[in-house]
Amino acid sequence: MALKLMIVDDSNIIRSKINRTLSQHNMEVVASASNGEDAVKLFTTHKPDVVTMDLTMPRMDGLECIRALRKINPGIRILVVSALADKSTAIQALKEGAQGFLCKPFSEADLTEAIEELLGDD
Amino acid sequence: MLKLGLGKYRSIVILITLFIVFDIGVLAMTFVISRQLTADAISINLAGQHRYLVQKLAKTALLIDQDATQGTFDSSGKSSLNEVKDLIATADRFNAIIATFDGGAKLPDMTEELALTPSQDTQAAALFALVKDLWEPINAQVQALNQPKDGHRPDVGPLLQVLIPNNLNLLSTSHILTSRLEALSAAKAAKLRAVQMAGMAAALVNFAFILYSFLGQLRKSDSAVERAQRETEDILRTTQEGLFLLDPEFRMGSQTSQALSKILGVEAKGGENFLDLLKPLVTPKTYDTTKEYIELLLRHDVKEKLVASLNPLDCIEISAVRANGALESRFLQIRFNRVLQAEKVTHLLVTANDITRRVKLERELKDSERRVQDQMGMMVHILQADPRQLQDFLRHASDGLNQINEDLRTASPTTGVSTPRIDAMLRIAHRLKGDAAALNLEAVSQSMHAFESVLQELRAQTRRSSEDLLPVAVRVKGLYAEVNAIQDVIARIGQVRGVVSVEPPKPAHDPEIAAQPFVRQWRGFAQQLAKRLGKQVELTYQGLDVDGLSSQLREAVNTSVNQFIRNAVVHGVEAPADRKKRGKSESGHLSVYVSDQGDGTIELSFRDDGRGINPEKIRLAAVRKGRISPEVAKGLDARALTLMIFEPGLSTRDEVDEDAGRGVGLDAVKEMISRLGGRIRIGTTSGEYCHFRVQLPVKAEPNDTNMPDRIKEVA
Repeated sequence: MALKLMIVDDSNIIRSKINRTLSQHNMEVVASASNGEDAVKLFTTHKPDVVTMDLTMPRMDGLECIRALRKINPGIRILVVSALADKSTAIQALKEGAQGFLCKPFSEADLTEAIEELLGDD
Repeated sequence: MLKLGLGKYRSIVILITLFIVFDIGVLAMTFVISRQLTADAISINLAGQHRYLVQKLAKTALLIDQDATQGTFDSSGKSSLNEVKDLIATADRFNAIIATFDGGAKLPDMTEELALTPSQDTQAAALFALVKDLWEPINAQVQALNQPKDGHRPDVGPLLQVLIPNNLNLLSTSHILTSRLEALSAAKAAKLRAVQMAGMAAALVNFAFILYSFLGQLRKSDSAVERAQRETEDILRTTQEGLFLLDPEFRMGSQTSQALSKILGVEAKGGENFLDLLKPLVTPKTYDTTKEYIELLLRHDVKEKLVASLNPLDCIEISAVRANGALESRFLQIRFNRVLQAEKVTHLLVTANDITRRVKLERELKDSERRVQDQMGMMVHILQADPRQLQDFLRHASDGLNQINEDLRTASPTTGVSTPRIDAMLRIAHRLKGDAAALNLEAVSQSMHAFESVLQELRAQTRRSSEDLLPVAVRVKGLYAEVNAIQDVIARIGQVRGVVSVEPPKPAHDPEIAAQPFVRQWRGFAQQLAKRLGKQVELTYQGLDVDGLSSQLREAVNTSVNQFIRNAVVHGVEAPADRKKRGKSESGHLSVYVSDQGDGTIELSFRDDGRGINPEKIRLAAVRKGRISPEVAKGLDARALTLMIFEPGLSTRDEVDEDAGRGVGLDAVKEMISRLGGRIRIGTTSGEYCHFRVQLPVKAEPNDTNMPDRIKEVA
């Protein structure tokens, strides 16, 4: 069964890149959001298994969003997709409970590798 | 764990167990012996009592008898009755002892069984039997006195009759028996003591053995520990990396590598708080991020590999003031690795490296890559340049770079490259720089300029080992990339031309220029240079079509003219105001003339109407640069001084810039000309002109065939 994926990123280009890449890797993109607030709303209705998460977004940033999503489903797998420029935010995100980290800009191979790494845990 | 520990100390544990068993044995034996000695003492005491009892009996019997014969007997008979009672009690006591010795009964005042009885020894048994025999009749008489009647005088006569003759005999027999028992007891005690001594001796031997093997093992493990410690110390002292362990409280382990303080630039001691040490070195944000990062690493639910890319100390710039007051900037890389014990992160292994050299080289490489990527601008210039000139330039660039690469590749790892070799490299670089500038390939010209600077630096160094050659090699690699990029661009233009009709640049209105791309290029170069230096020049050309020459000659002429232009505009031609004062036209005039001499040679003539060559300036420059000593300089005439402009490493300009001041230009030209079998002459009048004349054979007889003719890959 395909894993359900939600993409959270304020960049349209990044969203479609992730969508395109992971659709080919047995993942069903059930929702995508451009800010944290929308992400939380869509999360409740679509119940994804995996979330890719940007950190700097308007209306509720990634850190807050991770916190909110983990409150709803503590078992959620989150891949942070963010620019490396702000290392401290990425570290924060991992402390908040994100399990993976992918640095922008990334290639399709980087993304699939990061997702496989993220799911290979259990 | 216990099993593991026992393995090492097994023999000692066994020995100690043995020792304890021995000790318990000896103790038990001592206990038994002391008990037996007590028991024996009772026997001896009992035997001794016999003597006393016999004497007492005799004394009492004699007292009763005396009373009777002397009439001192109490008429009531009371006192003698008491004495008789006493007599009987004494006899009873005697009997009780005999019974005890026989083993039948136990005395009421005895708490323990007898250990020693006469029956254990034949001699004692015989003596005891004798005592019993002697005692029997006495006892019978004493017992006969029993049941006394009040008022009747007891008759001790029969008792005395048996007592007196046997008394002494019994006494002495008892005495002998006692002595015998004493001797037996002593013998037994001696035997037991000997066993005890032996046990103790064995225990002592065992103990000594334990001590010996324990000390041996201790020494062995001590020396192993010492050796391990020494190895660790050697590693920490020798390693070029800063190494230490970090505990969860951010404290550094007691052992740190010696290189650590040097790398960090601050004194680092074991036991210090690493974050405190870091604080003055980094920005507050990096400091905070580092703290968070370390905390994240200490948690085991986050993968080490994943967080490694987030290390805020992966490349940090640290500025420090040097001893001479100069600000020195260094790049450090501090990495953290988890140290696991039972799958728990107990410590982090911290590795610190000085990566300044690497970072700088990477930056340079990136710079050159960036320039390479600037293809659009280059494409415009390539489209404008004459294809044949461009082709010549590319070929020479490849050849020159191959030559340099070969020199680097064959350089001795210890001594590096010789100064003449570096000079040769400098000449190549300088020529390519001029050619590139002439072709408007600004990026390449700049790269060549930077390459020259690197070579100059290397020339100034005394040490030129392979490590010092690294920056040169990196540059060469970058230059190869640039040359290849130009070739790529040309190839792409060719493709475009195949598809789209691209009109070549329209010919200029001047027919001379239209006919002579070289002249157009020289003129452009001269104008460009002059403009940059705030001067004005005009260039005129006469003579044969340079394009019609063989590629080798064409290249030689082109390179020479470019260098002469550079030389004339930078050194010769005065500023417009100066020229005006001297009664010259504001614009300097350069005239170029190439002619076929008809004797198999061509002549290139280059003349400028600048200030000419001033021998005194050359004299000063040569002394200042240390080329010749002041004494030698004094002795040189104007001609000799003038010819020094063809010497490598001499420039009368103090500043080094892209245009001049490198002092390798003219020597490069001279070297090239002589390689082609030609010669160069110079004529000058101070304040008036400078005139170069170059003769070149049409059919080249190259003196140097070392130049490789195709691009080789950089090793």
